Amino acid sequence: MKISDVIKTLDGKLVAGGESDATVGAIVANDLMSDVLLCDADDVLLLTSLASDQAVRTANIVGAVAVVVHNAKPLPATMCQVADTLGIPLISSPYSKYDSCVKLYLAQEAEKRG
Amino acid sequence: MSEYEPKILSGGESRSDDEIMADYVGKDSPLVVMELLQRFRVKDVMRGSNIISLTREDTLRTAKERLRDNKISGLPVLDGKRLFGMVSVNQIIRALEGGWLDDPCSKHMSTSLVVLEEDMPLTFALKYFHNYTFGRFPVLNKEHEFVGIISQRDMTNVLLKELSNEVSRLEGKSNAAVRPAEASARSEGAIPYYSMRQFLVVRNDMANAGKAANEIKRMLKDVGISAKVIRRVAVAAYELEINVCIHSLGGSITVVLDSNKVTIISKDKGPGIQDVEWACQDGTSTANDWIRSMGFGAGMGLSNCKRVADVFNIKSSVPGGTTVICEFNI
Repeated sequence: MKISDVIKTLDGKLVAGGESDATVGAIVANDLMSDVLLCDADDVLLLTSLASDQAVRTANIVGAVAVVVHNAKPLPATMCQVADTLGIPLISSPYSKYDSCVKLYLAQEAEKRG
Repeated sequence: MSEYEPKILSGGESRSDDEIMADYVGKDSPLVVMELLQRFRVKDVMRGSNIISLTREDTLRTAKERLRDNKISGLPVLDGKRLFGMVSVNQIIRALEGGWLDDPCSKHMSTSLVVLEEDMPLTFALKYFHNYTFGRFPVLNKEHEFVGIISQRDMTNVLLKELSNEVSRLEGKSNAAVRPAEASARSEGAIPYYSMRQFLVVRNDMANAGKAANEIKRMLKDVGISAKVIRRVAVAAYELEINVCIHSLGGSITVVLDSNKVTIISKDKGPGIQDVEWACQDGTSTANDWIRSMGFGAGMGLSNCKRVADVFNIKSSVPGGTTVICEFNI
């Protein structure tokens, strides 16, 4: 699954961080940044409700390929600036985090079935 | 060794770099000044071009005129890139007194020279200026060729300029330009054998928390550390930076890189941790709702650091403060 697939699946909008079509290696859904830092996977897609600079900085620490913020939360200008500086695509989705997890899971399963 | 070969003397003496630096910049000087001294190498500061010099055949009268015309107090005696000696105002005074101003430099120049190597950290130059009374030192490369000269004035000029940049950076007014030490490390694609950088962390400044960890990550990537090690270092640096920001009165995060390990040191000004053992357990936290609203305060910070580091040490005193040291083998 690529970032473009994530945006399509989650009816998302790329808000900052620049375009990328990197492949998603793993999906982490969490609002506790220390939990995210515990994750060992590569090319993580971070799903979070945390609309703050720290979500993007944490994503950068773990080498995440993109960050999705849910419930169409307004994203602070500083968060967008951090995403632009670090080059991490920041996506806004109207869905809840739970709904996003379900949609992405179903999309991944469909992808596996070909 | 020929009679013209300079004798290279050792810097000698047992005082530590920190003690020497403290003498130079004062014990209470901002840590950023200390960091600047650690960051630079001799070649970043020395004058490497337009060096006024003498040959062995030049007379001391010529030397006197060059010293006077250029308002300097010492000149290297060179043959191409080879350094044979130094002529300073002292030799000129003696020549005036003794009446041998028209003798060749080779006859009276100093040949017992103290030199610096271009790759030495600037702290070595500082130590040499402290140990010797010379106003300048010739600088040689690994092949023992003359590459420049360093004076106290050169050091002061470069440090003041860089300090000014650093202050601007700290004030958020500029995106710091690539610093010489980092640039050379990058261009060589090699890990510098020693470098240190310190970041100040301000209490409750969540807008900037995490910047140091991200900068450390970038810095380690630039010098070619493996991605797996970088990730572990960055996780610890980030957790510690957040801890200093949200739990302490402020402090610093320092990264020290040498040939076999990366060390992250977090140091704060208090109030200290009552029960360190308890604080290092998973899920224990004194965080308030504000901290939790920022995505932290799950009580995983110190245990995350322990998990990723090869060596983890913590010391805390109430109300003195907490120091955490995490080491990572590379």
